[in-house]
Formats: sequence, C-alpha cells, structure tokens
Amino acid sequence: MSTESRSHDEMLALGDAVLARVPAGTEAEVTVTESAMALTRFANSGIHQNVADRTLRLRLRLVRDGRSGVAEMQVASDDAGDALVKSAEAIRSHSPSGEPVKPISPDGGADTEAGYCERTALVTPEERADTVAAICAGADSLGQKAFGTFETGGTSIAMVSTTGLRRAARHTVAELIAVCRGADGSAYGARHASDVSHIDAVALIAEVTERCARNQGADATEPGTYEVVLSPYAVAEMLQYLGLMGLGGLAVAEHRSFMRFGERLMSESVTISDDVRRPELAPFPFDGEGSTTRPVTIIDHGVCAAVVHDSVTEARSGEPTTGHSLAQPNSEGPFPRYLCMENGSGDDASMVAACTRGLLITRFWYVRPVHPLTTSITGMTRDGTFLIEDGRVVRPVRDLRFTQSIVDSLADVRSIGAERRACRGYFGATLAPWLHLGHFTFSS
Amino acid sequence: MRDIADVALDASVVAGATYADCRVVDQRMQSVLVKNGRVNSVTDFEDTGVGIRVIVDGAWGFCGTQRTDRAGLEDAARFAVRIARASARTAVARVRLAPTPAVTATYVTPVSIDPFDVPLDRKIELLLAVDASMDIPSVTTRQGSLAAVRHHQFFASTEGSRITQTIIETGGGIDATATGDGEVQSRSFPNSFGRQQLTAGWEAVLAMDLAGNGRRIAEEAVALLSADLCPAGTMTLILDATQAALQVHESCGHPTELDRVLGFEAAFAGTSFLMPEMLGSFRYGSEAVTISADATSPGGLGTFGYDDEGVAAQRTLLIDGGLFTGYLTSRETAAGFDQPSGGTVRAESWNRLPIIRMTNINLEPGTSSLEEMIATTERGVYLETNRSWSIDDRRLNFQFGTQAGWEIRDGRRVRLVRNPLYSGRTPEFWNSCDAVAGASEWKMFGVINCGKGEPGQLMHVGHGAAPCRFRNVAVRPA
Repeated sequence: MSTESRSHDEMLALGDAVLARVPAGTEAEVTVTESAMALTRFANSGIHQNVADRTLRLRLRLVRDGRSGVAEMQVASDDAGDALVKSAEAIRSHSPSGEPVKPISPDGGADTEAGYCERTALVTPEERADTVAAICAGADSLGQKAFGTFETGGTSIAMVSTTGLRRAARHTVAELIAVCRGADGSAYGARHASDVSHIDAVALIAEVTERCARNQGADATEPGTYEVVLSPYAVAEMLQYLGLMGLGGLAVAEHRSFMRFGERLMSESVTISDDVRRPELAPFPFDGEGSTTRPVTIIDHGVCAAVVHDSVTEARSGEPTTGHSLAQPNSEGPFPRYLCMENGSGDDASMVAACTRGLLITRFWYVRPVHPLTTSITGMTRDGTFLIEDGRVVRPVRDLRFTQSIVDSLADVRSIGAERRACRGYFGATLAPWLHLGHFTFSS
Repeated sequence: MRDIADVALDASVVAGATYADCRVVDQRMQSVLVKNGRVNSVTDFEDTGVGIRVIVDGAWGFCGTQRTDRAGLEDAARFAVRIARASARTAVARVRLAPTPAVTATYVTPVSIDPFDVPLDRKIELLLAVDASMDIPSVTTRQGSLAAVRHHQFFASTEGSRITQTIIETGGGIDATATGDGEVQSRSFPNSFGRQQLTAGWEAVLAMDLAGNGRRIAEEAVALLSADLCPAGTMTLILDATQAALQVHESCGHPTELDRVLGFEAAFAGTSFLMPEMLGSFRYGSEAVTISADATSPGGLGTFGYDDEGVAAQRTLLIDGGLFTGYLTSRETAAGFDQPSGGTVRAESWNRLPIIRMTNINLEPGTSSLEEMIATTERGVYLETNRSWSIDDRRLNFQFGTQAGWEIRDGRRVRLVRNPLYSGRTPEFWNSCDAVAGASEWKMFGVINCGKGEPGQLMHVGHGAAPCRFRNVAVRPA
C-alpha cells in the first residue's frame, strides 16, 4: 500500500458517479477527499508507534425546495453513491423549509499543483525509519534521548456540483518533529514542508540537541512582565489563535471579533496576510465550498484591514468571499488557512542582543482563548525557555504560564526576523518569523 | 465482520507477524444543529474500515484500510508487517504484552430508546423550541445541537479473542451568547463545548430538560454583560459538577496515563509528574479525594465491555482517599510493571492506532452538598461551566476560566460575577479539597474532544463528578 494519491480525473469521476445518482431538479454538491498518510513515531530514541492509512471520504449536500441535507461516508464499497444519496435525501426531506446555503457557481479560479510533491507521496516506511534513526543517533551521541514524529503523505480533494463546479487539487505534507531530552531539560524543533527533500533532518537535530544542551537544570524565575524573543514556533501558535478568535467574517458579524477596521491596533511593522500563494504552506487553491482562495491582507502595517469570508458572510456583509469557507453548512464561519507574518530584517541573535531583560521562548503549549474581544490567551512555555539579561542568554528557566492579549503584544513589536518558518496550523499552515516583543505577561 | 478479521489475521501471520489484532468498525453518527431559529445543518456520517495491528520482530506496525475484499485486506496486512519491520530497525526494546484471557463475547450499550429511531423532525422541533426560548434582547447567537452515535466493532486477535461490541451514544446541548458594551458572554447547558453526551439512548436527552433551561441560560448570558468582574485574591473556590469533571480530566486523568509517564507522548501531549516510585505513597489530594477509572459506570462515554486490546472493562482506583494508587495502562505498558492491563486502550476509529485513553475517570461522591459548602464558606466564589482551560505538559500548572461565577460572602451567594479565572498546581490544589458533594448531586458527564496521540485522535471519555470545594485558591478576573 503506497501513499500515492488518485489522479484528479479519478477523483472527479468518483464525484460524478455520486452526482449522477442525484434526483433531477435537486441542487447538489459532492466533495471527494482522499488522504493517504503515514506517521512514524519515536520515543526514548526508538520507534514505538508506526502507522499508515488510506481514507476515502464522500460528502454530499442536497438542496431542494428550501430544504437541505448532508450525508458523509468513509467507505469504499461500490454502492456508496446510492447509499449517500439516499441518506442525504432522507435528511433533506425531513428538514424544515428555510433558506439553506446553496452550492456556489464556478468562479473561474485555476487549480494548481503548488502544494503537491510526488517525492513526498512516495516516501516508504524504511525511509522514514532511516530518518528517525539519524535523529535518534544524533541525540544519543550527545547523551540525549529523541522523541517525535516523521509524517509523510498527501490529501486529494475534488468537488463537483449541479451548478457546474468542477475542481480538483492535491497536496502533500512532510513534517519532522523532534524533542530531545537530557537529564534535566528538553528542547523542541520541527520542519514542515510540501516537498520532503526540503526537510533537513541534520539541521533539525543540530538545532534541537544544541538547545537541549543549553536547557538543562533550569531554575525558576519570577512571574511578571518581560520582553520576549519568540521563535517562529511560538509566533505561529499566536497567529493561529488570532485567526481562530477573530479573523473570520462570522466572528465580526456576531460581534466576537477584536477587529476595528481602519484602526491601528498593532505596531506599524506588523503586516499579517493569508497567502495561498506560498508553496511551502502546501496550499489548496479552493475552499470547502469550491471558491477560489484569494490572498487577503488582514493587518496592514498595524491597521485592521480585512477578514476572510465565505459565501454566507458575503451575503451577510456584502464583502465578497475570499475562499476561506469550511464545508457548508456550518456554524463556525470562515477561517484563515495560510497566515503569514511579513518578515523584517532581524534575527534571533540581534533580538537577544537588543533585549535588556527578557525571556527567549522556543514553544508555547496548551494555548487557549481567555477572552475573544481582548484576544487574551493563556498557555505555557515548553521545551526551552531562557532568561536574557543585558543582551545575553544567561540561563534556562522553568516553564511559565502566560496570560496575554495577542493584539496588545503585537502593538509593542521591537523587531521582526528576516527568515520565516512554515509551521502546521489548525486549518492549513502558517509562515512565521522570529519576533521581539516589548512586553509579555507571565502569571505563574 | 468475522470473515474480514480472519482474512486480516491470517495474512498478518503469513507475512511474519508474531501477534496481530484487527478491528472491523462500522460507525454512524447523526448530528442536528440549530442556530438562531434556523436549522444550520443536519448531517449523517457513516464510517467503515479495518485497522490491523501487528508485532513483528518485537516491534509494532499498523495499517488502516477501507478495502474489505481479500486482496485489499491482505495488502493492508502485509503493509502493517512491513511497517513493523521498519520499526524494528530502530526499536528500543522488544514489545512484550501483559497476558489477557482470550474471550468470545458480545456487549451492547443498554438503551431505552434508540436515538436513531427518533424521527428527525422531532429532534428539529425540540431544538427550534429551545432556540425560541433563548430569543431575548442582547442574545445575538443561539445554538442547539443533538447527536447520536452507533459504533459497531468486531475485535479479533491471534490469541483467540472474538468480541462484538455496539456502543450507542446520545447527546445534546444549548448555548446562548450575548453581546453589548464591548463585552461578549456565553452560557451553555448542560455543559460547554457543544453538548453533553452519554452512552445511552434518547432518554438521556429527555432527562436533560433542554426546554426548561433555555430561557435561564439566555438571561444569565445577558446578566453577565453587566455583571461585576470576578474578585481577585486567594479565596475559597467551589466548583459545579461540570467544571469539577474537567478539573479531574486535566489534572487527574491525563497525568495517570502510563504511556505519558514512559515518554510515549513526550513530543506532543506531554509527560507526567507522577513517577512510578510515587505509587502508593504520594499524597495526591486530601482524604476527601477518591478517583476511580471505571469503564463499568452506567452512561459514561468510557463505558464498554472490552477495550480495543480485548481486555475486559474494569474499575480501578487511581487515587484512594488522597493517596496515588494507580495508572491507566495498556497491555504493553502494564507488562513493564508485571501487571495485568487496566483495560484502557481505545482508538478513535478504524484508521487510528489504539492507545491509552481515559475511560470514566470519576471523582467519587463525598458527604457534603453544594448548599452546605456555600453556607459554610465565609469568602469565596462558586464557579459554573468551563470557558477556558490550560495545563502544562506535566499536568501540574493549570488555569481554568468559567462562564459564570457567584461571589460568596458569609455563607450566601451575593452577586453574579463575570470572567472568572482560577489557577493552581495539581497536588496542592487537590490537597486543598475539603468537601465533595454526595451521591444525589453526582452526575456523569461526557467529554467529546479529548485530544491525544499522533496522528491526532479525539476520544470520547466520561467523568462522574459532584460539586466540590477547595481552600486558598488563586482567583482573578480575565
């Protein structure tokens, strides 16, 4: 069983086969998703879990007489199409009449292969094991133990509808995550790419073992407000929560968003966009209702510029869809998928050098919203937190809990890194730089 | 299903497996969501496939497939074996499994009313009626949902077990969100995160009395908009049963997972502060605190006949009168301690590897009552319904926020307060527990979004809990 995906034609044919069974006069949208993923997991410098699966999912949305029904199936049987139509129709016919979300018409957008790499789709269990072995050997040679995952695989999506929609795209993802643990401390690092050949395991293990060696015997430091130098891993997490809390059109319509259009809420150096054009984020060219995903500048030099939309928030707000819909219908609204923070000219060394007293943070953990309107989040630091004094990293410190408004912290940006790293996101991926912030509040 | 499993197991052995098990899964879920007076979505989801897990050369391999024809199953079994051989090249130690008897058994969740037999229009009618009851000024978002799950599974192993299980879950819940004056406040019932769910039939929804609570939570959401901020300071904290359940989940359930202790989750979900040498001697909590892992609790989302390794459901004490006494274990992790498995291994679906998961992690009932706890509190807060939750990777440093709070002065609730947060460290917190309400206020709750494992798995787990009281807790507003 390889992780190679079906061709676009094969995926579209599966969708067409379902569409052909839909009763005449009924509007229908079919989504075919196939994922073929494999993941090798290691702990204590050895592989302890190692899995692969191929999953085909068919989703049918029917709309007729103001009634809507959705059925989904993860099955590979020949009669799946009949069963799917029967199930969706049973739901549709029992639903009350209203104004359901209808399948969209084609918008002329092109389907690209920007996020697909055949090399990634064809990685074997032996190749993953060899990479893991190299990671483990790198850790062992320094008296550390390695933990983490190496995941490779791809997802294909095809959409067809009675309104003429006909889209197909696929992407691949390779992600290598390593945590190294010494006698009294740990460190984290990760690489995420569409093309597995861009995953540099040697560089990763060098980064993580060096950080782990420095992060031994951490002492406590007083909670309080510090300057912080955040790695791209931490910045990506922060951006993703900003997206979850308030960068969608429905959050604005329901008064849950912090966005105040036209107002400067962040430092002038901060520009945040959702950019489907970045191939390193393994982008899909269309969203959950088949709309072409377009680049959106969300924060423009610190000013609230726009949020992402789907067809529902388009109807509600008059702002055109940006192609960021989840599968319709849904109650959550649209979300950003490919958040990117524009880079600056700094690097981690210059940020540390410019820091009077602060914390160098590798990673955030268990981040959760505290209040959506203030963009207050809480979470912990993890796997490498260091005290900076007078421009130097002086010692590792124990992990701290922070409770901090994201917007407030991004209103006090001292420096943004030149290099950016692709990190996995909740709906897609995020491109994040190093960041030096003037204040960040730690409570315990 | 039996034939499918036999083919998969035979092919695994032929390919070189020294052990194999197979789960043939057929799952159906129906969900109904009503939002702001309209049916937002009605979805029916069916999921069918086969998960094959093997040991070869002392190492694990797993492959999930939707193909149930002989060629497809043999292909998947061979691939699982190939994966295991790759694992063996970098394995630390040969996998050893704690012995478990081979069984042939059937288990079905006892239900009075099959939730799939309830007509769809009746479900929609209920939700629309509740939605209307929440339609008051300042409430900008009203939402209600119902869900039904039927998880049918056949488990077979090369050790001879053949187990058929049908787990039925039914759930429902409502939320009201009010906005105004730069504030947004939500109230949920019976629990947050969408719904309360149990292994039960439609009778569970009828017992919730959603219709009787819609107006109340809507009014509370509106009242919270103008409520005073939660007071700050070190004070007495009383948790309602829903928040107590989540507190148990995060600070007692997860740290007692033995795979975390052994580092299996070190790169993702985290480890644990509970080292094996602490078993039997570590004072986890006060004498008021007894916590069980009970896969036999009626109605819990962790209630089943056998786990996904074919080990019978059981009840064990994790914390007994405050003393740390046990872990959640699998056959692999228990073998390292020469113990039998605790039977706590489950997979989200056919395409995921079974791993240690909470069953029903229950705070056993005490002898107090909510009324008595409030009456005997001089200064403190009573908090209801989770809004925010976070805990560190060793499960020590936590912070929770709830939707609503009431300040307590001299034994009485004196005012509603908004945006409450409380924080602490796990052992100190549970050692400050001086009262747990009795059986009459003890309820079973379901958590339907417990994340763990890579690839990620969302598991349904249960928590029986009652209101409980803690002294000297750091409380403040968000």
